[in-house]
Amino acid sequence: MRSAFCVLRWSALVALTSLGLCGATAFAASPLAATVDQVQPKIVKIFGAGGVRGMENYQSGILISSEGHILTAFSHVLDTDYIDAVLADGRKFDAKLLGADPRLDVAVLKIQATGLPAFDLSKAGSAEAGARILCFSNIFEVAMGDEQATVQRGTVAVRTRLEARRGVFDTPYHGPVYVLDVTTNNPGAPGGALVSARGQLLGMLGKELRNSLNNTWLNYAVPIGELRQSVEEIEAGRFVARRDAPAEKKPEHSITLAALGVVLVPDMLERTPPFVDRVQPGSPAAKAGLRADDLVLLCGDRLVQSCKALGAELELIDYEDPVKLTVLRDQQLIELTLQPVTPSPSNKKGQL
Amino acid sequence: MSGIRAWQINASRAAAIFVLTVVACSAAVRGIAADETTAEEQAFAAAVDRVASSVVQIETTGGREQVEGLLLGTGPTTGLVVDPQGYIISSAFNFIGNPASILVRLPSGKRMAARLVATDHARMLVLLKVDVDRPLPVCEVAPRNQMRVGQWAIAVGRTFAGDRPNMAVGILSALDRISGRAIQTDAAVSPNNYGGPLVDIQGRVMGVLVPLSAQPGGQIAGMELYDSGIGFAIPAEDLQRVLPRLKKGEDLHPGLAGVSIQGANQFTAPPIVAACRAKSPAALAGIKPGDRIVELGGRPISRAIQVRDELGRCYAGDKLSVVVLRGKQRIASDLALVEKLEPHQHGFLGVLPMRSETDEGVAVRYVYPGSPAAAAGVAAGDVLVSLAGESIHDRLELMQTIGMSEPGAEIALEVRRSGALRKLKATLVATPEELPPVDLPAAHENVKSHAVERPAVGAVRLKIPEHNNKVWSYVPTGYDPEIPYGVLVWLHPPGGYEWEELLARWKPLCDKHDLILVAPKSTTQSRWMPEEAMLVDRLLMQVGMTYNVDPARIVVHGYEGGGAMAFLTAFRNRQMIRAVAAVEAVPVGSAPDNDPQFRFSVYLASAEKSPSARSVRQAVASLRKKKIPVVTKGLGETPRYLSDEELSELVRWIDMLDRM
Repeated sequence: MRSAFCVLRWSALVALTSLGLCGATAFAASPLAATVDQVQPKIVKIFGAGGVRGMENYQSGILISSEGHILTAFSHVLDTDYIDAVLADGRKFDAKLLGADPRLDVAVLKIQATGLPAFDLSKAGSAEAGARILCFSNIFEVAMGDEQATVQRGTVAVRTRLEARRGVFDTPYHGPVYVLDVTTNNPGAPGGALVSARGQLLGMLGKELRNSLNNTWLNYAVPIGELRQSVEEIEAGRFVARRDAPAEKKPEHSITLAALGVVLVPDMLERTPPFVDRVQPGSPAAKAGLRADDLVLLCGDRLVQSCKALGAELELIDYEDPVKLTVLRDQQLIELTLQPVTPSPSNKKGQL
Repeated sequence: MSGIRAWQINASRAAAIFVLTVVACSAAVRGIAADETTAEEQAFAAAVDRVASSVVQIETTGGREQVEGLLLGTGPTTGLVVDPQGYIISSAFNFIGNPASILVRLPSGKRMAARLVATDHARMLVLLKVDVDRPLPVCEVAPRNQMRVGQWAIAVGRTFAGDRPNMAVGILSALDRISGRAIQTDAAVSPNNYGGPLVDIQGRVMGVLVPLSAQPGGQIAGMELYDSGIGFAIPAEDLQRVLPRLKKGEDLHPGLAGVSIQGANQFTAPPIVAACRAKSPAALAGIKPGDRIVELGGRPISRAIQVRDELGRCYAGDKLSVVVLRGKQRIASDLALVEKLEPHQHGFLGVLPMRSETDEGVAVRYVYPGSPAAAAGVAAGDVLVSLAGESIHDRLELMQTIGMSEPGAEIALEVRRSGALRKLKATLVATPEELPPVDLPAAHENVKSHAVERPAVGAVRLKIPEHNNKVWSYVPTGYDPEIPYGVLVWLHPPGGYEWEELLARWKPLCDKHDLILVAPKSTTQSRWMPEEAMLVDRLLMQVGMTYNVDPARIVVHGYEGGGAMAFLTAFRNRQMIRAVAAVEAVPVGSAPDNDPQFRFSVYLASAEKSPSARSVRQAVASLRKKKIPVVTKGLGETPRYLSDEELSELVRWIDMLDRM
């Protein structure tokens, strides 16, 4: 009803169309209800290790084969030999951990059953910002026994990537996610299903995650497309844990501020702004035109908000490579390229 | 998809195309309602597309890392282009750390240095400026009069990695929130989109998202509501109106008129002026106590709350037309609103009133030596009959009327002594900051009450339903409902108190000076929690409903942590609490200015070697600057609680709080 009402408000032209849609409004509730009916039998309530303060012993899962394969989040809940999987009809099974990919925070469980309703991962879809979505999970363990999972309605806020840089998100997974505009990521939700309004599986709800950039909780799901390969390999019994995603590689010998001839203000605070205190005469910095009182804002194209952050960025640059700095001087952004002096082999050691 | 793109080009054409799409789809696809979802999804995306090029990301460097106990994030945050010449509006929340540098990242990825041009402290917005070589795109604004509660509202931010803005979908939940300053939405509003636009389904900007709170709460007020289903935006039309001022670099502040309205319930009370601050815009406009406000800014006013709301929309520097009704006369004038009011100072005549009912006027209990009353020849036993030609009805009204005038004001009095009427003139002075004399005459004759039923007296346990605190109280056993009683709330120091001990100390004092003692215990032994201030409010209300309480003598008294809590409680509840008596404690938070309607006095006792001695001295200076009368009491060298003698002196001070 509400959606029809809002569309009416939207413009006179559309209001006219809505008259044409009157028949639709009458059963407007039914498509969503049909989606829910179709998804609920494929949602699993999972119980395992935990139960102590702050470590809940429950989460959610998604049936992905009629033979009882369950997709879920890899967490402490699975850290036991006794995992219970409770289906939507209330049947309880012992679940076995088939395997997990810690890099993606994903695990596959197996129960002894056949003929189960299940999602086909190969038919999972994708969505863009603005897509209406439903989330199914046993959030806060509200559902018990044959009670159905909690359904939440929302919209995809944005498709983005969880950035690995500087511990913004405390998770091993650093890849594409759907950020949602509804509070889904609470205890019990990990492993739940993100589904389009039409019932197509889009993603798996992730763990609770705090965004350290602005101290808010992030509500997100990992797209099925990111999980599919690992899940298929685990199912087939040929999963080999991959190495962690290659961390940003540090060169053997990194460039230093000293080698560039830059002296920053004393680093007194947690986030001291990287103001230039002095530039050594004749140094690469002096030749590039860096001056005292310049504020370094970017190293390459990365924002550096503190002296420490600038130091960390420089560690990623080889001692022989040019360093591109963008500084703020009199409200002007100035781009400078500092060309390190390549030391002769004899004094190379001394430099380091 | 052609429909979506078209929105960006031409709204009306897009709508037409959209209609076609819907019709086409409904014929082609099996479920018509499923297309409604598709249509909605496309409309959401299209609405965001329409504003996306004006929504920028803001990055900051440096500045404070904590504000009001909140660890600030390092961003990024969102801004909205409001002028092609490079003016960008954002939420003040994003800049409370006062960053050393501001970078604006345009949707193209280009970064530009920005400077903060001006801040709107009333609506918590900032205006930034970047130097542009070509004009930036600006959004269409949704007219305020077309907004309806229930319509779609999409909150847009640009804080995540990648080149797409983030959106949250909801509806308009309310208009005219927070004194008419904001519109409300149930879309998820948080640091992820503070500073971004709230757009309608056509992609027109309805407002700019900011954290706001209905209660005053400093710079971070409203942040606690993030993602709660309660989000606020400053209407874009209001913003457009003040943009020229902000562009000139003018910081905007809430506009104050300096007028207080009678009545405890602002929602039902008629807008009758109780007081105007001296030299305030209201006083300068010639408004007088007793006037009824009937129009503000051309809008009719019938309730007290509307005065607050109309003023809430205005800024310091604004001129607001006002019409008042004085008797049958309509008087129109202009209020030139200001940013800061001078604190009011109550004028003092120098008398204590009797508290027993009289047939005529108010009888004088005590005349302060050397006061204006003494100089005019008033003596104890006289009856004050009229003031400035108006007959006097009761003690509290007289207190209010005298207090409205400031020191230096001359008042005309009529006094009856043994049948004879005398006319006097007196020039008011400031309230003296002295400890009371050793002996005071009784505040009432020995009235014999005719009351048949009396509420519980003696030691009484009190219970407030939502609070778990244990609360003892003592009501003088000779309680007489015809006599107004003072209330003293005792807030114990860390560690609690023994009731028997406390009672033994206070019982004789309460009996002698008509005082009800209320002594709550903190829920945690070690300290008072700020939330427990609410408990004191509730206790005062309960006592006030059961007993005859003198509104002029409600005092919160505390030692050490209890004293700090006493200040916290009193600053929050200026309507009820008339004084704080603190021993070895300093005020928590900033004291509000002295208020003409709600008198406030402070008694501060401390020792020379007290660790807080310096803070106490600073607190006294700061309270006096706000024109709050402060009495200080030295406790010798080492910190301690009051002796019996000092305690009875404090109780006499409380007994004199209805001085005028």
